[in-house]
Amino acid sequence: MPTYGNYLRKLNSRLNSGINSGLKPAVFNLFRRKKPNKDTFSPDTLSNLFRFKYSCFKMLLDSNAKFLTVISDIEERLQGQEIFGMSYVRSRADQAVFHTLRMVKNLDDLSGHRYTLLFDILEKINLKIKEVLGKRKEIPPTELILPYVQINAEMVDWVGGKNANLGEIHNRVHLPIPRGFAITTRAFESFMVSNELFDEISKKKVEIDPDNPETINTTSEDIQQLITSARVPAELEDAILLAYAKLSEDCGIRVSMRSSAIGEDSELSYAGQYLSKLNVPSEQIIQAYKEIVASLYSPRAIAYRLNKGIRDEDVAMSVACLEMVESAASGVMYSRNPLNLFEENTIITAVWGLGPYAVDGVITPDNYTVDKNRQTIAAEISHKTVKLVSKPDGGLMEVPVEDKFQDKPCLSQEEIDILAAYALKLEEHYGSPQDIEWALDRYGRLFILQSRPLRVEDYGKGYPLTPVLTAYPLLIEKGGTASAGVGFGPAFHVASDQDLLNFPDGAVLVARHSSPKFVMVMNKTRAIITDLGNIAGHMASLAREFSVPAIVNARVATATIPTGMEVTVDAYSGRVYQGIVPELESFQNACECPMKDTPVYRVLRGVSDWIIPLHLLDPKSPNFTPSFCQSLHDISRMVHEFSYTEMFQLSDFVSDKKGVAFKLKDFVPLDLYVIDLGGGLTETNVHLKSVPPDKIASIPFNALLRGIMHEDFQKSQLRPVEFKGFLSVMREQMLSPPSKAERFGDRSYAIISDKYLNFSSRVGYHYSILDSYCSPTPSMNYITFSFKGGAADDIRRNRRVRAIAIIFQSLDFTVEVTGDRVDARYQKHEMSLIEDKLDVIGRLLQFTRQMDMLMNNEASVEALAKNFLIGNYNLRNTVTA
Amino acid sequence: METIRLLLVDDEEDFRTTLASRLKKRNVDVADVGSGNEAIELIRERSFDVAVLDIKMPGMDGIETLRQIKKIAPLVEVILLTGHGSVEAGIEGMRLGAYDYVVKPCNVKDLLVKVEDAYIRKLLEEAQQRA
Repeated sequence: MPTYGNYLRKLNSRLNSGINSGLKPAVFNLFRRKKPNKDTFSPDTLSNLFRFKYSCFKMLLDSNAKFLTVISDIEERLQGQEIFGMSYVRSRADQAVFHTLRMVKNLDDLSGHRYTLLFDILEKINLKIKEVLGKRKEIPPTELILPYVQINAEMVDWVGGKNANLGEIHNRVHLPIPRGFAITTRAFESFMVSNELFDEISKKKVEIDPDNPETINTTSEDIQQLITSARVPAELEDAILLAYAKLSEDCGIRVSMRSSAIGEDSELSYAGQYLSKLNVPSEQIIQAYKEIVASLYSPRAIAYRLNKGIRDEDVAMSVACLEMVESAASGVMYSRNPLNLFEENTIITAVWGLGPYAVDGVITPDNYTVDKNRQTIAAEISHKTVKLVSKPDGGLMEVPVEDKFQDKPCLSQEEIDILAAYALKLEEHYGSPQDIEWALDRYGRLFILQSRPLRVEDYGKGYPLTPVLTAYPLLIEKGGTASAGVGFGPAFHVASDQDLLNFPDGAVLVARHSSPKFVMVMNKTRAIITDLGNIAGHMASLAREFSVPAIVNARVATATIPTGMEVTVDAYSGRVYQGIVPELESFQNACECPMKDTPVYRVLRGVSDWIIPLHLLDPKSPNFTPSFCQSLHDISRMVHEFSYTEMFQLSDFVSDKKGVAFKLKDFVPLDLYVIDLGGGLTETNVHLKSVPPDKIASIPFNALLRGIMHEDFQKSQLRPVEFKGFLSVMREQMLSPPSKAERFGDRSYAIISDKYLNFSSRVGYHYSILDSYCSPTPSMNYITFSFKGGAADDIRRNRRVRAIAIIFQSLDFTVEVTGDRVDARYQKHEMSLIEDKLDVIGRLLQFTRQMDMLMNNEASVEALAKNFLIGNYNLRNTVTA
Repeated sequence: METIRLLLVDDEEDFRTTLASRLKKRNVDVADVGSGNEAIELIRERSFDVAVLDIKMPGMDGIETLRQIKKIAPLVEVILLTGHGSVEAGIEGMRLGAYDYVVKPCNVKDLLVKVEDAYIRKLLEEAQQRA
């Protein structure tokens, strides 16, 4: 054990060499004036030195707590059920590095710079994390404009999925597409860069709070405004207009301009997320181009990327510029039934006029089913009262359908045959079922406007058809299954964007029309029911993608299901029941962990490998040194351990003469050490190495001790714990590395002053930090309490955490639960209230010592919390469900 | 607590002036400048308790400014502002004696808490120096 003088000499030599912080020369001067000699320090000097050290220590503990929160948070996301974006990964990685750095820096300050090596190690790990976060390398395209004859599927990075597919269909599948050209990502880059839009956008994006859809709307508006008011560089404008002139051949044709975003991973459909503009006259082409680029940042698109974990850096906008097909009829077809792959039927939907009405859910289209022998096996002809057509001056308008056409099929048998044949060709070419948009022009020519992989749900051999349950009121007898599954919840009507903003978690969405805007609440809703719409619509494919059961074309849903009514949606059979139907429970979609296959999930996984794994378990091991740190967790674990050692060494030096650190005497349940910052003890007997509890003057510490030493625990100390639970805990102890078992019964530390308490302990299996200030001034008073870890298996840990959360909630604390961690806060209350709460926490610390072993079932969560709250601490007799 | 004398250094004018006016509302005595050189000049003339420095500035960057400030007025506590993804600069800055660093954009309330903490640390240092 070095002496205090040695310590100071070391400190001085550190301070003399290398880089000095502004703080250190002060310390240095101080000790240079007074030659290091442990007998000559005034209590004031020591007190100030201690306060400085303590302020470092406190910051270190603060970051330690926050670092552990980040870890719990990442672990939770790694389960893949919660949605997150790349910004989440970056921010968590940054926070993890930041708090580790703060810990290292404060330990280094605290120790007089004896841990500079840790900076290097941290830097190394940070580099590894950077590497994982690093951008993908891509070869940039050189052309601003590419005609379709030059485009194929491999050029997806230059022209986006939609353009690449059109080129492929034209040049390799040899099916008809409208004439046109693609405006490439090179064009996009040049537009964005020349206006410095990337920087401006990233500044605006910080306003987004994923939990608050309103911030998505306002930020989106700002960003889109920024983009549409920027100038397209002259070179690009010329290139676009020249390509248009060639296409038009002086005939002044209209074009349709469609978004073709990069990042349209074939696994994900981007149904309806970006803008397409139909019937664009030549003078509006440039403006339309900017609007389509801006739609990369529509609220829908932002929410979608956030939900699906797609990085903004990985998206770019290419635009398809196609000769406008003034279609007589148009629609969507699926080369196979999206609900059942085993049914090799092509499904064709058709409406009069332009395509948007076929996918927007405005009218119910005709529905033709063609089997694999090209026989039309079903044709449901709907009543089509309106259609969408081009306006002479640009844009679109709705017009009534002539009476004689309203109930007439949109397609002839011949046209159905041709389309079905196209569908098969496309499926064959791409080797997977396709989702195809088509148009029929007024001369009877059929065009393919788009083809992309159909995202099909594998429900096994056919999807389960459910029996009608007569015991429950049937609200909807037959709707169309847009996405199979079962969902329960209270109904919530959506008629406006505002309703989407107010959409409650866990409700069932009921609406007149289906809309792809519903993507904004896809992660909140249990099911969707719409009066109109069709199974081939955009919303339907989104619902399938998010595994949200959805029924469309239910006709009377808004009329028969009021907001607030509890309903059970059976989207297998298109039925809705009033109330909760337990028989259907087993049909509920199992969680598919939607994040797990996304690129962003893989990045988080990669990053977490440098953050989370803990290799340094045993402080007594010779490997417990900086050079063996392989993760941020290792570093923080080590810093945390060393920080106590540092504080103790300091305490030990000081306590040799001054009596600052004490072991609490005769204190049965805990191996507890006390460090007094001033006024925490009734007398400062410098010769004592330990103090009896009655010499403590710290108000908050006394309150806590009252709870810890509550008589009920004195009695129950020796009681045997229940066997089943105990064995399971023992097993885990034995399976774990031996060092883990040694942590059992580790020291606890109380750092106190008259009004302050920082109590950290590893009691039994868990780890907790309590920090409190308790004075006559209520506004300064607070208690923060964090609880983490344990030896028992995950389920038990989780139960215990929930039990503790219930207890703190009942005690009026603000509580946050993240993984196996509880954070509770209580502040600005009178001294007496703070004392009472500390007393209860003291009892809780004792109570929780054995809680693990008793968490045998779900009921024990509530039971234990309840027993504790009514003051029944005798665990053995109370653990009953 | 006395009024905190704060020096805010950031080349991004919008951000700087907004932040300065918000801090002033919270009773912080703020001087704001747009470059490291101006910061150095000002710190030679006046005393400050805390300096908030943007790391990424044209000309003299935040790290160099930090170095200079520490030479002139070692007791000034420095908080560094960094953009996303410049943790490296943060590591370097902390090594050079910065009190802490904050990732930009930051919420004013959080920054103010940091500023207050830094100020308390400075008071402790001064007390120690006087002892």
